[in-house]
Order: sequence, then C-alpha cells, then structure tokens
Amino acid sequence: MAATLSPATARRRPAARVWRDRLPGIVMGGPAVLVFLAMFIVPMFLAFVLSLTDWNGYSLNFTFIGFDNYAEAFRNPRTVDAAIFTAVVAFCGTVLCNGVGLFIAALIAGNSRANTLLRTIFFYPYIISALIIGFLWSAMLSPEGAVNGLLGHVGLGPVPFLTEVGFAKASVILTIVWSHFGFNMILFLAGIKSVPAEYFEAATVDGASKWQQFRNVTLPLIAPVFTVNLVLTLVGLLKVYDIVLALTDGGPAGSTQTIVYQVLRDSFANSELGFGAAQSVILLLVTAVLGLAVTFARRGAEKKVAD
Amino acid sequence: MATTTHPTTPAASPAAPAPTAPRPATRSRRRPAPSVGTILKWVVLGLGALVMLVPLYIMVINAFKPQDAIISSPLAITPDTFSLEYLQAALTSEKFNVVKAYGVTLLFVALVNVCGIALAAPVAYVIARGRSKWHLGLLLLFVCGLFIPGQVTLIPVVFVLRVLGLINTMPGFILFETAATLPVTIFLFSAYLRTVPRDIDEAAALDGAGKIRAFWSCVFPIMKPVVATIVVLNSISVWNDFVSPQIILGPSSGIYTVTTGVYAAVGEFSTDYTTVFPTLLLAVSPAILFFVLMQRHIIGGLVAGATKG
Repeated sequence: MAATLSPATARRRPAARVWRDRLPGIVMGGPAVLVFLAMFIVPMFLAFVLSLTDWNGYSLNFTFIGFDNYAEAFRNPRTVDAAIFTAVVAFCGTVLCNGVGLFIAALIAGNSRANTLLRTIFFYPYIISALIIGFLWSAMLSPEGAVNGLLGHVGLGPVPFLTEVGFAKASVILTIVWSHFGFNMILFLAGIKSVPAEYFEAATVDGASKWQQFRNVTLPLIAPVFTVNLVLTLVGLLKVYDIVLALTDGGPAGSTQTIVYQVLRDSFANSELGFGAAQSVILLLVTAVLGLAVTFARRGAEKKVAD
Repeated sequence: MATTTHPTTPAASPAAPAPTAPRPATRSRRRPAPSVGTILKWVVLGLGALVMLVPLYIMVINAFKPQDAIISSPLAITPDTFSLEYLQAALTSEKFNVVKAYGVTLLFVALVNVCGIALAAPVAYVIARGRSKWHLGLLLLFVCGLFIPGQVTLIPVVFVLRVLGLINTMPGFILFETAATLPVTIFLFSAYLRTVPRDIDEAAALDGAGKIRAFWSCVFPIMKPVVATIVVLNSISVWNDFVSPQIILGPSSGIYTVTTGVYAAVGEFSTDYTTVFPTLLLAVSPAILFFVLMQRHIIGGLVAGATKG
C-alpha cells in the first residue's frame, strides 16, 4: 500500500487507482512472502499433518492415526531419555554459559589491550561450526587422546570421557559451554559498557565496594541483556544436535541422544516419518512456551530498572 | 585530580573480582604490590585463556605429526617428525575435496546473502512505511519465524522441495537457507528503516522516481550499517550450517559444503588422527582468518543482531 497516502484519500479513489497504488507494495513484498510461506509456514503445517499419520516417508499408502504418535512419544523410553537429556543440557548449558560468560565479562570489562585480546580468545570458538568443535574435542577426549595423554603424565589413569555414560554427558555439556559462553560474554560486555560511568562514580563516592557496585549497579542495569542471553541460549540448546553427533554420536548406549537427534534419526534413517514429525512438533511447542515463559518471567527484573 | 580522593582502600574488597574501570595510575604507584584480588583475577583469566587456546594449539601442531607421535606426545612440538604429507593428503583427499568445498560454501554464502537481502529489504521497507494492520500482520508473520527451529521444518521442507523438483540441488538449498535468513533480516531491516526519515523517499517520489526505484536508489544505500550486520550474521550461519546441507543436498548430490565434507571425511575415521587434525585445520582456517580480519564487525554485528532482535 502506498505509504504516502493517508487512508482517507485512498478511500476516495476508484478501485482501479487503489490497486495501482498498492502494486509497488505487492511487487516489493510478494516474493519474500512466497518464499517464506513455501519454506516455513507450509512446512510447519505439513509437519503437524504428518505427525498425525503413520507414513514411513516413501510408501504411497498411509493412514491417519490421530494423536497416537504423540502418545507414543511420551511412552517410548528412547524419546523420554532424549527429552530428559535435552532438558539437562539446556538447563545446565544455559546456567553455565551465562554464569561463566557474566563472570569473565565482569573481569575484562575495562578497555585495556589485554582485555581486548582476552575477549578475542574467549570468543573465537563461537564462530567455528559446532560440528568441527565436536570432532576436535572428540579427538582430544578419546581414550588415547591429548587430555588422557596429559593426565597419564601426571599419573592419572585414562578417564572414559566419551565412553562412560556420566562422563559422556558431562563432556557434551562442558564442550558446549566451552564453545558458547564467549557469545554470552560478548553480550554481557556490551551491556556493562552501556552503563553510564557516572553511576559507578556515584556509587564509589557513596563508598560502595566493587562487589556492591556490581551487585547493585551493573546487574540491575544489564537485566535486558540478561534476558536476551537466557532466551537465546535456552532456545538454541533445546535444538542441540551437531556437536553431539560429532562428539559422541549419541553414545555410549544412546545416553547422549538429544531430541533433534531422535527426530532426524526417526524421520530419515528409521523411516518413521510420522513419529519424527510428532517429536519435532512437541519440540517446537516446548521451545515456544519456554522462550515466552522466560521472557515474561524476566519482565519483572527488567521493570525494576525502569522504576 | 579527582581520583586521588578515591575513598575505597585497596583492602576494601580483596577477593571480589570486580568489573573494574582502568585503575588510576596514582594508586598503583602508591601501592607497589598488587592486591590478592588482582593476582587472583589474572590467574583465573590466564587459566581460562589457556583452556581456550590449548585445543587450537593441539589441532595446529598435530596436523603435521604421524599417528604415534600424536598419541605419545600430543602437546609437544616435534621438529624431527614434522611433515607436510598429512596436510597434503587431507588437501587432496578423494573423500573430501577441501578446496572445492571452500568454493561451494563461499558461493552459498554469497548467494544466500544476495537473495536474502534482495528479498528482505523491499518487504522490510513496505512494513516500516505501512500504517495499516496488514503491515503489522506481515511483520508478525515473519517474526514468528524467529521461534521456529529450522530442524522442525526441515523434514516437511524436503517434501516441498521434492514437489518443486529442487531436492538435492543447489537452488533448493539456497531457497531454504534464504528463507531461514528472512525473519532476522526483515526484523532488523524494518527496525532500522523506521529510523530513516520519510523525507528521503518523498523527495525521491517528487523527482518522479517510482516507488521501487526510489527505494533501491535512495533508501537502500542508507541501510549500509544494518546490511553489514546482516551479512555478518548470515555468513556465519550459512558457513557453519551442517544439518540443512546434509539433508537437502544429501550425499547423492555430490555437493559438499565444508561441514558436510568434514563429516564425510572424519565421521568414520575419527581415530585416524593423521586425517582428523589436518582436515579440521583446513576446515577451520578460513573461519579463523575471517574472524581475525573482521573481528570488530563480527562482534558488533552479533551484538546488534541479538540485542535488537
């Protein structure tokens, strides 16, 4: 619709004129809308429709089985285990990435050269593909890898980082934290630097210690950045896949499989497309609900700043 | 000087690692020994930096070593066994043509950027300038894309692409990746365009330029900063994407990006370190180089993308 026309003048024009005025808008917006519908909205509805069927992905006949796939998702021990592990990764990952990120950001918030260098060092893994991070750590954590070699030198036996359930789970989480906290740190740094210097000066004059300044000045003022960090990390970790595939390939004994791992395996390798689609729809709902819930829960913390 | 009347004594918070502003020079001169807190802070940061850098170091030095040297001394630089043959082998591997993968991935990055921006900029302009509820609805439609994980739609996307005849082809992959960039791009573009005064388009309209021409010739050039942000975000996400090329292009197409190529080359031989480390080094080098050269833009772009999005 022509931006330069007020609605009143548009109404007075004959219909043909109105459409001619709208044409540029349609030409400009149309292609993007079409591409988005074809690649996002239609597939999303298709995912829901598929989740109600028992289609295997290639045969010509399939039947609608209602919500059986959803019921199966809550019964199937494989899916339940994957859901629990995904939840653990998302929770621990979010807490650790933001905790470490905030801690380091607080330490290197100054503008010195050393701090700029440290910022680069802590951040660089974020721009490397998660798959490659996974392979790199997989090579280092394997029984004869570099980490065990190092431990051997100080007389510690080989640690089964990737071959024993508990260790493997911890390895996945810590590898994610290693590669991701730099991103959180960068956002926290941006938040800390946007706090006006006068606030710190005023707090210093009032005799506040560095810790009190951090607790009572910095932390409340970076509440919006905190929310963004929490939501982005949580939503990102709920769909974690690449790093698990490369690091443990879901093992040992399937203990580190995540929901997306299950979705892709069921949909393609296992030819249970309907079941895969049902799990992906559940993931979509959980992601949306948790993302919105965190956003709203943080509203309170952010409001305090506004007052 | 105001800083000399600083009321906090050095002992006020010995253990608290503080969000420090640079310390005033007068104070450190008065106090020759650094406080426990400062020492602790640098120990923590030093150890942290070590943890971040050692994996990179291991990857680099072990790309030039034979298997037994990698296993016996993964951290040592061993000049006597130094050899370029493993890197050479990775570079010419039949399983994974790295140079071709660089080219293919770069092509994808470039095309997705061009297509994404060409599609998103005009629609963002329409949204930013529109006043009706339709325009708001359009924005909401794209914004809800921000909350849909790509992996959820990927399965049905395969079928849509099959219907379009684009599965296992480059155009199909570019179409999907372009669509995936639209939500963030449109959101940031329309937020930016709201800050561009309308006088500019109205002046162009008075000069007789059509609406579309006025946009591309007068408004789009003003969008340079936000376009740079988007190019950074899209480039990183397309370069690093693994699942979509793996599934949309598929092994049958014979088209490998850097990530799917690494998976094909390393996936099954993950205990042959003379393949693993050189391949990873080759795969990572362009990304690290890009990061070193563009660091300020990358970090600025990520911050802008995350805090405005």
